[in-house]
Amino acid sequence: MISEQKIRAFLFYLGVFIFLAGLPFILSFAVGYKFDPHKFKFTKTGIIVIKTQPANASVYLNNALLRDKTPLTINELLPAKYNLKIELDKYYSWAREVEVEKGKVSRLEKIILFPLRPHIKQLNKERLSSFWIDATDNNIYYVNQDDSSIYTSNLEGENYKQVAPFIAITPPPVKFRLSPDKQKLLYFNKHQVAISSLTRRRDAASQEEPFILNYPGEGLADVFWHSDSYHLIIISDRKIQAREARTDSPAVDLVNLSRKNSDVFFDTDTDTLYFTDYQQAGDGNIYNNLYKIELNTKTFLLQNLIGTKDKEDEQ
Amino acid sequence: MNNSLKIKRLLEILPGAISWGTLTLLIALAIWQPLACAIFVIIFEFYWIIRTLYLTTLLAMAHRKLYSQKNRDWLADCLKVDPVRGCAKYHLIIFPVYKEGLDILRPSLEALRQSRYPKQKMVVVMAFEERNPNARQAAATLEAEFRDDFFGYLSTFHPDGIPGETRTKGANATWAAKQAKEFLFAKNIPYEEVIVSCFDADTCVDKEYFSCLTYHFLTNPKPHQASYQPIPVYNNNVWYAPSFARLVEISSSFCQMIDGMRVERFVTFSSHSMSFKTLVDIDYWPVNMISDDSIVYWKAYLFYNGDYRVIPLYITVSMDVAYSSSFFRTISIQYKQKRRWAWGVENVPFVIGSFLNNNGTPFLKKLRRSYHLLESHVTWAIWAVIITLIAPLPILLHRSFFNQVSIGYNLPKITGMLLNFTAITSFAWIILSRLTLPKRPADVKWGKNIIMIMEWVIVPVVILILGSTPALDAQTRLLLGKYMEFNPTEKTRKK
Repeated sequence: MISEQKIRAFLFYLGVFIFLAGLPFILSFAVGYKFDPHKFKFTKTGIIVIKTQPANASVYLNNALLRDKTPLTINELLPAKYNLKIELDKYYSWAREVEVEKGKVSRLEKIILFPLRPHIKQLNKERLSSFWIDATDNNIYYVNQDDSSIYTSNLEGENYKQVAPFIAITPPPVKFRLSPDKQKLLYFNKHQVAISSLTRRRDAASQEEPFILNYPGEGLADVFWHSDSYHLIIISDRKIQAREARTDSPAVDLVNLSRKNSDVFFDTDTDTLYFTDYQQAGDGNIYNNLYKIELNTKTFLLQNLIGTKDKEDEQ
Repeated sequence: MNNSLKIKRLLEILPGAISWGTLTLLIALAIWQPLACAIFVIIFEFYWIIRTLYLTTLLAMAHRKLYSQKNRDWLADCLKVDPVRGCAKYHLIIFPVYKEGLDILRPSLEALRQSRYPKQKMVVVMAFEERNPNARQAAATLEAEFRDDFFGYLSTFHPDGIPGETRTKGANATWAAKQAKEFLFAKNIPYEEVIVSCFDADTCVDKEYFSCLTYHFLTNPKPHQASYQPIPVYNNNVWYAPSFARLVEISSSFCQMIDGMRVERFVTFSSHSMSFKTLVDIDYWPVNMISDDSIVYWKAYLFYNGDYRVIPLYITVSMDVAYSSSFFRTISIQYKQKRRWAWGVENVPFVIGSFLNNNGTPFLKKLRRSYHLLESHVTWAIWAVIITLIAPLPILLHRSFFNQVSIGYNLPKITGMLLNFTAITSFAWIILSRLTLPKRPADVKWGKNIIMIMEWVIVPVVILILGSTPALDAQTRLLLGKYMEFNPTEKTRKK
């Protein structure tokens, strides 16, 4: 009978043997080596990782259909260029030449297969003039000029209901902007800003009537809500103004612009307006500068942030 | 500081320095050389799987031995060895007690009373601490119940504050052994005829334990040059203990069984037995060290110049799983107990330091034992940290880099594949743990069986929290020279 110590010694040395013999294979697999029978040597290989949207698509590598479907990983590929084709019934196929480098992973994880006949769903229940989507609340706003109403639904077109009267402006509005408190909607064209209330006041039997602010002589470029949902920041061809969203409120000129069609961005979170304008420098040249106005403080600061990138000759 | 103190201090720093050095190096590699770290992780995991498979095989072999000897009539075997003196050996049984109550002590003595070995050859010493105000009353109660069952029954009260001593179990046991020595001398019993067993207060022996011990003593050509180590199982309250506490103790039992198979590195642990003559010769247990159970072995090893060994006894002694009524208190108790066990790292400076002054032990033997000792403590402290915390670091810290290279893709696959092998070993451990489990008490529902299988899922977390962490804690304390004090483990038993 074999002694216990001999069995133990055998197991110990077997373990040592497995470790020493297995380690090179495990390490070579880890770093991507494969035995190439044609060259009769170990060659460092690469990997292709494929993910598609939707999944379960067939994959052809150099015109050979692979057994597995997406998502899949093709291991131990010798460094070379491969023709990859992905097919899924009722979807456009996807094809590309992919270069596999030794020891590297080629990740194709953003493949979208587009349907041959995409499913189109009608969302509006009434006639539609234009629409506005509030992504933060997952709501769609529909404007129906025929019955002068604004409707809303969720993003699937469900819960479709009238939420406010719409006041027609001509030409039709170019932009819609929902107030930060989601209570009011403004829309504007080149010369008019219309504001509709989306909720009923507690102390009022009927909804607040929509109203129009006219800017006959000026071309409106953009209108923003201040974070208080009560003030408007109005960008016209030559001015930046602030005013209360009421018909009897005067507008305050914040900036007289030297150029038309300034680039403007208003950050509602900080009530900061960024805009570009021309300025003539001491060298006689006119530079396009980026400015910002902080509208959340009592004293509005006008700061020159960045020197111009676009040098223009004085006209 | 003289040279020997400097060497001792260096040896105290050594285990913690290796453990922390290894972990720091690996973290640095993970940050600055992620590829090298990833390759190291693969090598380490592969090594660890093979090691685990090997040790699990040894565990299965140990179980097989345990069960093949389960119903063996050891007493009859003793008499076969020596029909005249087979039952002539005296057994001195010392129970060092601190705060353990009668609910813990009474079953331990009851188990002795049930022993098949002749009780008129047993001397029981209940070694109380004098500083425990309840000691005298507990001693009197137990004496009234048990003193007539044995040849000798002593209650000793270890005085507090003896010069050169610290408050350790070894100091109490030594005091008790010296009292017992006087008793044996008075009874004219030669020390060579006495086998001493030092048991934790909650130790309940198998009824065949002393017969088995005597058999091995009689059949050992050098009976005084060996310690005799039973398999500690924590069956007294295992059905009532929380999952993690139970897992830790089962794992401890298994480690003991595995170590029992590797006799060349086997060291005494917890409850064990040895020749009383040897104990007297080596001047008893250490009186100022916490890990008295292993230091006593090393003292004997050095005394006999390396010609001393531990003989595994394939018979169980049952102890308590340390737990309390509250979850966090149980974690705290378990943590402190494991840290105390891990404080066995104080063996490193003691053993290696003593080897330097010991010319009788062969050099290679000293080298091998030093390596085994150091390796076991360092491995205890770092392996779970490497596998659970450091292994994922390179990929977590350098995700974009590993996204682009083959090893980044293959590393999780290899790790997963290798760790699947541990599932096989875990499965084996679950089966083996069921084999050592006592019968389910009537007040425990059958569903507990399912829980006791499912709980193995939390093993990695348990090993990290109650395995590596207390070991690192103990090594760090030794490294910094912040020496631990003996902290007896609180034991709770369902009444």
